[in-house]
Amino acid sequence: MQKLDEIKNKFQQTQKGSWIKVGMSTCGIAAGADVVMAALKDEARKNNVSVRIEQCGCAGMCFAEPLVEVFVEGVPQVTYGAVKEDTARAIIQKHVMGKEILNDYIYKMQ
Amino acid sequence: MGYEKRIFICDTDGGNIKPFEDALNANLRAEGLVEKVQIVRLADAGIYRKGVMVKVTPENIVYIDVKMDDIKKIVDSTVKMGQAAPDIAQKPPEKQLKIVLRNCGNVDPERIEDYVALDGYKALSKVLESMNPDQVIDEMKKSGLRGRGGGGYPTGLKWSFARKVQDDQKFIICNGDEGDPGAYMDRSVLEGDPHSVLEGMTIGGYAIGASKGFLYIRAEYPLAVARVEKAIEQARASGFLGKNIFGSGFDFDLEVRLGAGAFVCGEETALIASVEGKRGCPRPRPPFPAVKGLWNKPTIINNVETLANIPYIFLNGAENFAKIGTESSRGTKVFAVTGKVKHSGLVEVPMGTTLREIVFDIGGGILDDKKIKAVQTGGPSGGVIPENFLDTPVDYDNLGKLGSIMGSGGMIVMDEGDCVVDISKFYLGFCVDESCGKCAPCRIGGKQMLTILEKISQGKGELSDLDNLRKISFAMKKASLCGLGQTASNPVLSTLRYFELDYKQHVVDKRCFQGKCKDLFVFTIIQDKCKKCSLCQRNCPVDAISGSREEGFLIDQKKCTRCGRCFEACKFDAISR
Repeated sequence: MQKLDEIKNKFQQTQKGSWIKVGMSTCGIAAGADVVMAALKDEARKNNVSVRIEQCGCAGMCFAEPLVEVFVEGVPQVTYGAVKEDTARAIIQKHVMGKEILNDYIYKMQ
Repeated sequence: MGYEKRIFICDTDGGNIKPFEDALNANLRAEGLVEKVQIVRLADAGIYRKGVMVKVTPENIVYIDVKMDDIKKIVDSTVKMGQAAPDIAQKPPEKQLKIVLRNCGNVDPERIEDYVALDGYKALSKVLESMNPDQVIDEMKKSGLRGRGGGGYPTGLKWSFARKVQDDQKFIICNGDEGDPGAYMDRSVLEGDPHSVLEGMTIGGYAIGASKGFLYIRAEYPLAVARVEKAIEQARASGFLGKNIFGSGFDFDLEVRLGAGAFVCGEETALIASVEGKRGCPRPRPPFPAVKGLWNKPTIINNVETLANIPYIFLNGAENFAKIGTESSRGTKVFAVTGKVKHSGLVEVPMGTTLREIVFDIGGGILDDKKIKAVQTGGPSGGVIPENFLDTPVDYDNLGKLGSIMGSGGMIVMDEGDCVVDISKFYLGFCVDESCGKCAPCRIGGKQMLTILEKISQGKGELSDLDNLRKISFAMKKASLCGLGQTASNPVLSTLRYFELDYKQHVVDKRCFQGKCKDLFVFTIIQDKCKKCSLCQRNCPVDAISGSREEGFLIDQKKCTRCGRCFEACKFDAISR
């Protein structure tokens, strides 16, 4: 039990701030999640934005893949669906940098 | 920049939200709130046919069936005061409950710390530090968890059999040989949250006294295999697998075995043969694998979904798990809802949820708003459930009574355009292909049934064929060696039970009104209705439609391949089937 707490505490130190999760299971990748992932990373690097971009599994909404969940301080946590490369870049520019949520792409809210 | 509030809007009927957005925007402008409040249009709200949905954050108040007149009330109470507006319906509670999928789409499956941060491996440490194996089995029995692979055998009871057998070596196997057409629950769990399966297996291993486990995963799931292998490595490096886990003296390790894509290897005795490196053929039981399994040692085989439930049970207590679901079926079930449904995907609902709720409230209804015909559950071993039984609460016993099975969780929705003969032919053809050929009832019976179905779909059927189908089904059920043969006739039997009229149309009238059996219908142009628009001619891929916009059109039946493109293209219903 003690060991688990150690791992947990150490990990949680690294998990502060904004994050983006991309659904990278077979269903997501088939719909183009790898392209979206690359676009998000590229756009974040270009604009020098500090945001953790991570992968996760299938959230169940396969009809709306690729799914991108975004958490930015002070903005409600939302999941964008049917994300294409240009939407991914807009997520970094508008949502992460501008704190303005994108219209017409949200499939789920926290 | 820097909005204080956000209003999310969505028309859950799929209509145009723009007029509502404009009215809301005008109201905010009049109140001087435009700079402080962002209006966000949603693509999908997760609820359907409930009018306009409005959600205000950070209060998180969600309204449904909002009318234009309600805008002022919402702005006055919720946006300005942060309080719920009276007289407007709020969103009903969520229908889904995620236990197996609790971490899927949340954790990074390739990083063990993510899982640990969400109380992963805490159940294992609790079990190893404070419970003996008999207590673990008692807890499992109390939870009422039944096998999620299809059979529905109580997991605690299964474990207790292997526990009682004295032997120097025992095994636990995870059955990840998911082969039902349209089902992919296990793949998603293995890909999205592999550690919960590993943790469940380790707890199971401790309970029955096994020191070694195998994950049998089909080779068609390369990503799942890669992630599980990575998870095993990480768990070993962290000391959650291997020697002396959590200092308890318990040793346990895991290994992956690949299945080469034979459906029958999902059957437990065939699976064992396959893990041993032999040809995947079932053997008669008893002895059951819990007594004599892998290399003749006591072996427990659990499905991926069953195992993923186990950490939750030990973290939250068996009593709390048993409160979910129905009397005979506790907990939740994951379904892969596919077919003619608007929003296909994975859903996890408490047992006892009705099929109608799953298809319409969660799945969003039928594609193109057609009429639903039936829902197929349980894959090639299951059956169809027609529309008038959609309000049946889903659990093991209810589905059995309807002539279907729970199965592993494939749920294929069929609309009025689906032909039951065609569907039976598909499923039976699948089982004939996948039959291992060892026992005669399955090998010969399946083939004969398929021949009869093909005859019917070609218009050569006789009424006696329907009786023969029933007779062969009965023989296969009684005499086949394993589950594959015993259940292969289920799709035929259940369609015969609920849709006998459709079969008779094929046999007596020689017509397939759904337009699937190509020998039993022709496309013809109804000249009275035809507007000579030429759409059918332009859509025909084989140039079977001759004529001109002046003279009208005719379909050459010799060239026609019955693809149905003209039928779908015609805007005036001028083509008959």
